[in-house]
Amino acid sequence: MRIQLTNLSFGYDYRTVLKDISFKLESGDFLVIIGNNGSGKSTLIKCILGINKVPSKKIYLDDVNINDYKSWINIGYVPQKFDDFNYEFPITVNEILSASRYGKVSEEEKLEWLDRLGILELQNENINNLSGGQLQRVFIVRSLMNKPKLLILDEPTVGVDATNVERFYSTVNDLNRMGVTIILITHDIKSSKANFTHVMHLHQGEATVKKVAPKRGESS
Amino acid sequence: MILSISFLRALIDHDFMQYALITGLLIGFLAPLIGSFVVIRRLSLIADTLSHFSLAGLAIGLYFIHILGITFIRDPLYLGMLFAVIGSIIIEILRSYYKNYKEISMPIVISLGTALSALFISLSGGFSSSVYNYLFGSILTVGRTFTIIIIAVTAVIVTLTILFFRQMVIISFDEAYARLLGIRVNRFQLVTTIVLALVVSLSIETVGVLLVSSLMIIPVAAAMKVGKSFKNTLFIAIIFSEISVLLGLWLSFEVGLPSGATIVLFNILILLIVALSKKIFAKKSLKVKQSESQI
Ligand SMILES: Nc1ncnc2c1ncn2[C@@H]1O[C@H](COP(=O)(O)OP(=O)(O)O)[C@@H](O)[C@H]1O
Ligand SMILES: [Mg+2]
Repeated sequence: MRIQLTNLSFGYDYRTVLKDISFKLESGDFLVIIGNNGSGKSTLIKCILGINKVPSKKIYLDDVNINDYKSWINIGYVPQKFDDFNYEFPITVNEILSASRYGKVSEEEKLEWLDRLGILELQNENINNLSGGQLQRVFIVRSLMNKPKLLILDEPTVGVDATNVERFYSTVNDLNRMGVTIILITHDIKSSKANFTHVMHLHQGEATVKKVAPKRGESS
Repeated sequence: MILSISFLRALIDHDFMQYALITGLLIGFLAPLIGSFVVIRRLSLIADTLSHFSLAGLAIGLYFIHILGITFIRDPLYLGMLFAVIGSIIIEILRSYYKNYKEISMPIVISLGTALSALFISLSGGFSSSVYNYLFGSILTVGRTFTIIIIAVTAVIVTLTILFFRQMVIISFDEAYARLLGIRVNRFQLVTTIVLALVVSLSIETVGVLLVSSLMIIPVAAAMKVGKSFKNTLFIAIIFSEISVLLGLWLSFEVGLPSGATIVLFNILILLIVALSKKIFAKKSLKVKQSESQI
């Protein structure tokens, strides 16, 4: 998916969080966003997700003005925290996945994603019995349930152990190679095996974006 | 044994017993089905709120029929259903008005419902046997029309649930994600709340205004402690609820107690049994674990 931001500013109430942000991603680009806590990383992706409402003509998704955009199903998202999720009531991994799947991914593909992220054996487990890292991977699989063209991941490896972080990056790199645009917020860019093409540094609401040569073929 | 045989004979011999059984079982099915989604969305108070608002409709119906002589309404029940739906719409409006204090909507609507009820009950001659029935339920007096209404409502709700099960699950568990998937969350919630309102107003006949919410919440509260999955929990909640309806109806018939009270008390009994056996079971498995770790 193509993404274009032009002079986007955004704030909550009276405080400006994002100042004049512009950048452009083509299909298959891989953007990593870094920045201190509170620098506005989550705020920025919530603008791209339509959760934060922005003025017209600031964001275009596949050349469609975000306020007219309808194909949200093409965007996969792993939120930073799952505070929005209602826990305690029993529900299994499979039940969450099928409630989030609207016809594009086959059963086999679903099992393959579960396997690749190392949670295949958990598919019939009640999510209330999962650890934070396992749950995180469930939500990563959920974000893939509608064959996204854009995948947005907000600190997705927090709480996940080293082996599974590797599995995660190999999965994301493969998706990217298949043409999925990726936006990844992360803290550990140095140790990460992400094959990113762009890096954005957010500092006090201002963004600097650099294009980098992708290190193709390094992982997977 | 002798008691249950007379209960069965009455079931075969009397229309009113058959109507009671059918409506009881259908409400016993619908209440925890809807109740589960209500519990997940942390809206347990909504059933109570709507039943109080529905009572206002019933009271106004009594006033129209008995005092004003406006008989085309026929049965206050219809006004009760209408009011439950109006109440549910007011709740949704208030919930979007007070975005960060959504629960404020409940006491506002409850107060309005209770105040209107008190007003019109008093205007229509005070506490009568109809009012008593509305408050505590009277499943043994339901008739043919009511039974047909409830069968129709059940058919509609079951169809909606099957068609939109996945959407209802994701909206209940993760509203934000449902929005991201492009699901029209507000529309779904309005429909769910209206459906809930209908079930509430129909349940009033079975257990009465004061006990409606327990029918929706208690079997679910018990089931969620033992369920392995969402569907499994729904299933268990419905089984618990139906057992309570059968035993409650039977006891109500045999001893001449209000059916609402007996049904709800059986529900509570099941909840207690589940809680206690969970506790005993948890202690046992803890002991096993401890002894294992000592080896
Ligand atoms: N919903 C909100 N309402 C008000 N302020 C918010 C909200 N979300 C985030 N903020 C504020 O905006 C700033 C940027 O937050 P955020 O985008 O979450 O940063 P990051 O993800 O980079 O840690 C922070 O100061 C935070 O307190
Ligand atoms: Mg953040």
